Amino acid sequence: MTDKTMLKVENLKVIFPNAAGVVRAVEGVDLTVREGECVAIVGESGSGKSVTSLAVMKLLNSPPAVTRVDTLEFDGRDLRQATEKEMLDIRGKEMAMIFQDALTALNPVMTIGHQLDEVFIRHQHMKKKEAKQASILALRLVGVPSPERRYSDFPHELSGGMRQRVLIAMAFACNPKLIIADEPTTALDVTIQAQVLDVLKNMQREHSTSLILITHDLSVVAHMADTVYVMYCGRIVEKAPLKELFHRPLHPYTEGLLAAVPRLSEENHQFIQIPDAVPNPMHKPAGCTFHPRCRYCTQQCRDKMPPLQDMGDGRQVRCWHPLGGPNLTEDALQDGSVGKEAGRYE
Amino acid sequence: MKRFFSRLGSALWDALKGIGRFVAKLWAHPKGRIGLIIAGLLVICAVFAPPIAPYAPYDVTPRAEKGLSPSWAHPLGTTITTGQDIFSMLIYGTRVSLVVGITTGLATAFLGALMGVLTGYVGGFVDMLVMRIVDIMLVIPTLPLTIVLTNLFGKSYFMIIFIFTLFGWTGLARVVRSQVLVLKNSNYVRAAELAGAKRSHIMFRHILPGVSHLLIMSTALTSAGIMVAEAGLSFLGLGDPTAISWGKMLADAQSGGALLFGHWWWIMAPGIGIFLSVFAFMRIGLAMEEIFNPRMKQSSGLYKLFKNLNNTYLQEVFDSMEEDRLEEKVKPEPTEEREPAGVS
Amino acid sequence: MQKGYVIKRILYTIFIFFIVVTLNFFIPRIGVEDPAERYYPPQGNMTDVEYDIVKQLTREQYGFDVSTFQQYIRYLNDLFHGDLGTSFQAGSPKVADLIASRIPWTLVLSVSTLLIGLFLGLLIGSYAAWKRGQRVDTAVLNASTITTALPAFFIALLLSLYLGFEWELFPAYTDPNMVASFDWSWRSISLVASSAALPIISMAIGSVVSYAQNTRNSVIAVSNEDFILTARAKGLPSRQVLYKHTLRNAMLPIVTNLGMSVSGLIGGSVVIEQIFNWNGMGTLFLNANNTNDYPLMMGIMLFLSLFALAANLVTDLCYCLLDPRVTVGGSR
Repeated sequence: MTDKTMLKVENLKVIFPNAAGVVRAVEGVDLTVREGECVAIVGESGSGKSVTSLAVMKLLNSPPAVTRVDTLEFDGRDLRQATEKEMLDIRGKEMAMIFQDALTALNPVMTIGHQLDEVFIRHQHMKKKEAKQASILALRLVGVPSPERRYSDFPHELSGGMRQRVLIAMAFACNPKLIIADEPTTALDVTIQAQVLDVLKNMQREHSTSLILITHDLSVVAHMADTVYVMYCGRIVEKAPLKELFHRPLHPYTEGLLAAVPRLSEENHQFIQIPDAVPNPMHKPAGCTFHPRCRYCTQQCRDKMPPLQDMGDGRQVRCWHPLGGPNLTEDALQDGSVGKEAGRYE
Repeated sequence: MKRFFSRLGSALWDALKGIGRFVAKLWAHPKGRIGLIIAGLLVICAVFAPPIAPYAPYDVTPRAEKGLSPSWAHPLGTTITTGQDIFSMLIYGTRVSLVVGITTGLATAFLGALMGVLTGYVGGFVDMLVMRIVDIMLVIPTLPLTIVLTNLFGKSYFMIIFIFTLFGWTGLARVVRSQVLVLKNSNYVRAAELAGAKRSHIMFRHILPGVSHLLIMSTALTSAGIMVAEAGLSFLGLGDPTAISWGKMLADAQSGGALLFGHWWWIMAPGIGIFLSVFAFMRIGLAMEEIFNPRMKQSSGLYKLFKNLNNTYLQEVFDSMEEDRLEEKVKPEPTEEREPAGVS
Repeated sequence: MQKGYVIKRILYTIFIFFIVVTLNFFIPRIGVEDPAERYYPPQGNMTDVEYDIVKQLTREQYGFDVSTFQQYIRYLNDLFHGDLGTSFQAGSPKVADLIASRIPWTLVLSVSTLLIGLFLGLLIGSYAAWKRGQRVDTAVLNASTITTALPAFFIALLLSLYLGFEWELFPAYTDPNMVASFDWSWRSISLVASSAALPIISMAIGSVVSYAQNTRNSVIAVSNEDFILTARAKGLPSRQVLYKHTLRNAMLPIVTNLGMSVSGLIGGSVVIEQIFNWNGMGTLFLNANNTNDYPLMMGIMLFLSLFALAANLVTDLCYCLLDPRVTVGGSR
């Protein structure tokens, strides 16, 4: 990982107007990804993770989407000014995407080889034969056994794990600077998940690619990420380096997410859940959008949306009452409320 | 068996009550309203044909008035061959079209529902048998078969209704069957089964209401299709030779020299009659489809919406998201007043 | 393509064909004890004795003098040798020969209608989907509600009235000698082409619009699929996405219906042929109906069913080639 910024997004907003009103999918997201860094975006379904990633690649159709963004810089280029033609050269070559369900993300009536070839022919201007060699090599790199034979298989003839590897091979085909992986392992069995994640991680390390990993699975995050963004209702509610986030979550939502993961090490562990569900994106609650589900909710939370507050050490949190920790404001440290929370889940 | 029919009766009654509700929904839908208005006018024409029609349609006595152009006395002129008043014939023709269309639509819905529920709910051998029958019927050409059967058993509208019903139910049965398969695995049907309800009870009380919207939709769309087919058969002279129908009017116009003498009104009148009746029932059917299956709604609405999107409104929406950014200076409050609330 | 699937599919087709043949055999025998009565109904001026003699002759001529089961076996046997029976027409021509002489003329109409419908329909439909929500698109949607409510024979009458009689662009009636005098000369061919114009146009209008609408819906449904997003994320230009990914998948449901629509077109051209006096299967069938020529009617019915079956089989097997997901048993 270097200090060079690969992707910088500031104040990204995406809405979907429809006859009944406006769906506010993303409401001002800031995102920074450095070269070779793996950034995870975590959140429940409907929190705007996928829309954010599509907006970064400028793949959202309008209609139905309307997008506004203050800064969209990729590798020093301002993508806001980029024409569709320029975007075509960036997509697949410098910025690639891995989708969730490889069965539907691959064209069912085209061999996987043909679909891989397309990338090489499009971006590296290869001839059909060269492309075939390149595709077979790409398949071999992601650990597809006997790639020469698999080359002419159709997507439905492969297992789920193999299909996902094909998608990974396709994404890494042109050695892009940034890869966005949208729930890359959700559709897979747990054992296969681990294999595919290893492939993804190794590929990312070897090519020192920046990776945005979108998931709702915290174990995947723990396995892969350097920095974690937690999204709720179209906003970032917490940003932290991986270890800090797991050790000391600052946002009640993050705390709930972590507590919902069962751990064997803790005895008498009670399964904690966050009550209710993600609010309807057309009728979000006033104030802090998390307040109806938050156990620390106060009047202030009901009235006003908290700002994303810097907490030092590269941490940010959007909460009026961040949970205890060494980075808490001085007032809180002095009155000794820190530590009171310890053990409250037992 | 008696029970079966009484159940069937009550299910039909429920369907009838449902129709009332559907009509209200249709009226609220722009497409449906056009369909309802036209269909209503046609029904009025059919029922009150004698007072509406200025002349007796069969009256061939005014021989001096053959082949008249449209005038105040004869709004659509008279026929070249017999001097019948075309407007009066047009009004009377509504009867055949509506009766054949609607009767076949209803009968098809009934048969389709029965077959669909049977194959879907009972499954197994019945399912296999019916599907084989469907495969056979798909192969046999309907129009030639209708011609053969009218030849064997005489020309009548009953025959036409019978054959079109016999061959028309397959599409609906397939749709109903797949819907029934979904319902069959739903929790409330499972619960009824576990509670020991009889199969026939489940079929008519739980499953049939779940597919009723499909039946009403199909009745409207089938009626529309049958009206076209009936006109075609009458045009070929396969309808009841004594009745006045739009298809037969077109055939008379063709053989009577309307083309040769350029009497376009003689051709247009029945053609527009057919068009209006089919159009009305199709609109009703399509409106139903949109009401019950909102995802079917054409996406063009969204595009229209986007064309008219107000930029200041969008800006307001985007600005409202800035709420928290404007107050960046606000510090988080001390945490002392925090109290756990809600779940523990 | 799996061998097992193909064999299964062919066997099933044969099974269905066998049932259709059986139905075809029994339909003219419904409702009468002696088929001779149907083939030669009693005439007003005939005494019972005379009619008995006539019936006996009819029985012998059409082989009704043996048991129904034997008749059925003979029918199957004849069929196996390509004999569909003998027509009532003067000179007792074979039904199979009559059909063979007419089928090319009907195919001229239905195949050109199909080709025009497919070509223009696919073009307009995919263009409408491409310009979704814009003027072309709404035009296609509105046209489809209008043309489905307009019977083809009404369109045919209008075309005949205006293009045929009023403006004399095309012949409104087919020259009755067209078939007999056809000799592959340039004049013959241009006569056929000009006479076929109106029948083809009147059938093609509905065909084009319905293919256009189906294509449009299919293209839009496919363009919402995930793999289209993958293709776009690869950086493929939208035209390439349309041609290589969207259209190929959108074609599948349309190909499935192709077989049905070919046979439907042949059956449906009866009315159009009658209006334009076109010497095809449709007029042959209607004439057979007017003269109660049962062997000919049933022969045509059987031929149409066989055609539909074959068309279905062919499209199913083609579909198998187009969609690699089809496996044994036809499940996807």
